[in-house]
Parts: sequence; C-alpha cells; structure tokens
Amino acid sequence: MAETPLPMVELQGVSKSFARRLFIQNRSFALRGIDITIGRGEVVGILGESGSGKSTVANIVTCLTGYDGGTYRFKGRDIATFTRRERFAFKSDVQIVFQDPYGSLNPRATVRASVMESLLLHRRDLDKAGRMERADLLLEEVGIPASAGDRFPHEFSGGQRQRIAIARAIAVEPELLVCDEPLSSLDVSIQAQILELFVRMIRERALTIVFISHDVNVVRLICDRVYVMNQGAVVESGPARDVLSNPKNEYTARLLDAVY
Amino acid sequence: MTETLSPAVPSTAQSEAPLLEIRDAAVALKSGNRTMVSGVSLSVMPREVFGIVGESGSGKTLLTRTLLGLQDDAYVAAGSVRFDGRDIPSQGYAASARKLLGHSIGFVPQDPFSSLNPSMKIGKQITEAIHLAKGWPMGAEKTREAAIRLMGEVGIPEPALAFDQYPDQFSGGMRQRIVFAIALSQDPKLLVADEPTTALDAITQRRVIELILDRSRSHGLAVILISHNLELLRQSVGRIAVLYGGQLHTIVDAGDIGTRVVHPYAEALFACIPTREKELADIRSIPGEPVGAGFGLTGCAFSTRCAHAEPICRTAPLPLNERLAPRFSACILGRGA
Repeated sequence: MAETPLPMVELQGVSKSFARRLFIQNRSFALRGIDITIGRGEVVGILGESGSGKSTVANIVTCLTGYDGGTYRFKGRDIATFTRRERFAFKSDVQIVFQDPYGSLNPRATVRASVMESLLLHRRDLDKAGRMERADLLLEEVGIPASAGDRFPHEFSGGQRQRIAIARAIAVEPELLVCDEPLSSLDVSIQAQILELFVRMIRERALTIVFISHDVNVVRLICDRVYVMNQGAVVESGPARDVLSNPKNEYTARLLDAVY
Repeated sequence: MTETLSPAVPSTAQSEAPLLEIRDAAVALKSGNRTMVSGVSLSVMPREVFGIVGESGSGKTLLTRTLLGLQDDAYVAAGSVRFDGRDIPSQGYAASARKLLGHSIGFVPQDPFSSLNPSMKIGKQITEAIHLAKGWPMGAEKTREAAIRLMGEVGIPEPALAFDQYPDQFSGGMRQRIVFAIALSQDPKLLVADEPTTALDAITQRRVIELILDRSRSHGLAVILISHNLELLRQSVGRIAVLYGGQLHTIVDAGDIGTRVVHPYAEALFACIPTREKELADIRSIPGEPVGAGFGLTGCAFSTRCAHAEPICRTAPLPLNERLAPRFSACILGRGA
C-alpha cells in the first residue's frame, strides 16, 4: 500500500496503565509506549492474545478511552488539541465494530432506527425519508433484507446482528473503521460469511481498517500490515504475509507455531 | 472415482472390542420429550483419539453430557450404550453412567474457571478425587504424594508448592491442567474433553491439547475430544464424528478432510476455516444460518444449506444402515461415502 505523507493514525510512544485505585503499588501496564502508524487506505491488523493490550489500542484509536503518555495524531492533528468542531467530526470519521453483536445494538430500537441514528447527527442534509432510504440501502449492502428493518435486535442471529453493527458503523461513511475481534463470538460457518463481507467492503469502499484479532490466519489473509502485540508492547510489525510466514521475533514465532 | 465409492473399511484390528459403543442413540429433553439428538452410532476403540465436531447448537455438548449422566434435564430416549464390554442399562441410565464417570471415564469440561471449587486448595481437590477413586486406606501422606506426582505429570510447575494454593492463583491453562489431573486421578480408560481449550489462548491451547495426546500415547488412554474447531481436530485425532442440527452426519478419517471427497457438510465446514495453507479464494462460507438441534425436520438437517441438496433430502430419513462402521456418510445422495 502506498503511504501517503500524512498518515491517518499516528500513535507515538502511547502508554496506558490501569492503576489500582487505593494503593497505587501495582501499576499494571496495558500499553508500554507503543508506536503505531496507519496509512490512508491500509488494512492493518493488530494481533495478540488476551491481555496483550490490543483492545486498549482499539479504544484509544477511537477515543473511547484516554492514554497516559505519548501522542496520538489523527490525520496529522494531535487529538489533545482538538477543537469542539474537530471532536465532533472525529466521531463520524472513526467508527468501531465490537466483538459482541449482542451488546452493541440498542435492544429497544429497531435495527433501522439504530442505523439511522448516527445519520441524524452527522448527515444533516438528509431528511427522515432520506435517512430511511439510506439505512435500507446499507442493510441490503450487508445482506439484511430492508423489509427486516422494523425488527428488533433479539430477532436476529449473532451473524445478522454483526452485519447490522457493520451497517451502522459505515452509515456515516467513516474514513477509519476499527474492528475489535468482529468474528470471534460467531459460529465457524458464520465467521466465514462475515469475513467475506469484510473482504467485499475492503474492495468496494475506500476504507482504512484497523483489524484487531487473535486469529493469525484471518490477519494474514485480509491485512496489508500487522502489528504483533504481547504484554502491552508491539513486538514485531511489517507486511502481514512476511511477518506471519517469516517471523523475526521469538514471541511471534511461538504464536505461529501454536496456531492450528 | 474410487474416492466416492470405496466402502467403509475398518482400520483397527477387528479382534479388539470397542471401548465405547453407541448404537442409534437419541437424546430428548425431559420437558416436552423433545428429541434433540438422534441416530448417533459410533464406536471408540481402546487407545483411540476420537474427535466430535459441531457448531454451537449442533447438540455435541448435550449428547456428551447426557451420555455421561451429567445432564439433569435430558435423557437417553433410544439406543444402547456399551462401555468396556458391558451395557449401560437403560433403566436408571444416568446413575449407572455417573458411576462409570467416577472410575473408568474422566471428564474435562469447557470452562476451567467454573469447574474448580474456588474456596478449596487445589491439592485437596485432587486428593479428594484420588480418595473417591481408590478409597481411604491409602493414607494421607501417600495420597499427597500421588497428587503431587500427578500434578507434575500434567505439567504444573513446582507441584509441591502449588498443592497448597487456591484456583484463583492460577491461569486458565494451569487450571485446565488441574482439572485434567482430577480427571486422571482415577486412572480412567476413557477421557472425554468437551471444548477443553476454547477459553484458552493459542499457545496455551496447543500445550493442553499436546498434554492430552501425550497422556493418551504413554498410558493407552482413549480420548474423545469435542471441539467446534475442525482444523484443531484434523491435526490431533484419527477419526472425526460430525454433528449438525442434532444429527450425526458422518464419521471421517481426519486425513481425508481437505484431501478427498467427504460428506458435503464436513467439506463445507472445512471450507469455512482459514488455515495456515489456505488463501482467501479457498475460503467459502456456508449460506444461511445453522439449524439448531431439535429442528423438527424429517430429513437431513443440512439440506437447507447444502449445495448438493435435492428435494428428497428434506423428507427422507438419514440412511444410517452402516450402524457401527468405523467411517460412514449419512448423505442420502451417497456423497462422501
């Protein structure tokens, strides 16, 4: 992938610790000064086991959580210096798809309403009919018939809910889509369906994607570059295929050996 | 093609009797007598490592737990189960099966975080199991030694120290080893492991699976490994029984998956999985949603998603004539047989 001079995301020496509240003696580091750069149009994998800090990266990149040290530049601007207007724009520029499609949709809203919700804020040019039309189009795009838009999340299976969550995330046409283990709570045959949906989206939309996963094989297949994380640090990075077939790092090698 | 026509030839020596023989077993829920799993015939030979694969809702856990007498809300509605040369009587099945569970069959459940008593030192939990299996006369000191030796064998570092620690002081992988030690304390002939590594990380998963396989090799332990991960089973076991929608669809040689024509569902399931060797083009999803156990069709549960399905598949009962054949395909169209 061609690197544009101004990367989409630049994390420099970002660290975060979860301190024990009362007696701060056991500062456990979620992230130890990591550097991650994500270029425009790239699909970047963050690979790691549980506790490696990969979800913390997802939450920092989407500003769902703060960080203690280092800088985070989004499209060249330090997010600490964002104006209100920039913060608002950031919310439509960056969207996230979570692991658990059961917890990420409002159970009391129809799925069409869930997809329309963000359009209300970020697409002020659309009237209600326009928003509905766009929501139905998006549902169809991810493989949910528009006629099912009036139904509620509990009427859908896990795979369908994940499709709806993806439709909602791309509704505002984000520049950056962060996916935090979007496959791992799904059944094997459904994982392949959602994987195919991602592959189609990568091909058809000008999206930059951060793909957080513990699945070595999925990352190898869909990501341009990969960062391998272990215990809050990036241990290796590079083109996904190189790193995941010729690891230089001892931990990466061990992880690859263990994968079935 | 010889691949599709070759008859099911037993690979194991026929002189040896199977350790476990399940014939046409069905499992039903006590409430409403709803049949959830049906037509399960399989045999596991002594020392064999046997796999059962199925997506969630396929009935693999319900089948196993009911056959072991652990599922309170379900019962064995039909068929016979023979273990180590003796029939388990259908009258009072659960109680008889649970007696075996204490002695000849070891069980490792999925979740290492809820299967240990959090308020009891792990040493006590293991010695308790040894006492139950071998009786009290062993004496406290000898039992302690036996427990520590067992803990060492399953790869718990510094077992003498760990003996006096509590479960929450151990990681998921170590806890699964403790559960494994408890299951082995009775010197079982058969170990049943239901998704033993699903809650674990990749590196730990590989270690726990290898530990189980090593034990099988060194002690002649037969193993039934239940998993949703077909690739894990393909690399670890000899034969794999494939469950879908509460039906047993095929028993295949692990080595035939991905190399020969096998049952359409086994093939489709394997095509879903990204493995080390596969490229993106090799991955094909199965359209539609999985059918859960107890779906209420008369025919093949997979016929609603199968690329080869014909109208007859939805109505004709699965052919299970081969009964206890070491490998078979229950596809009415004769695919993968």
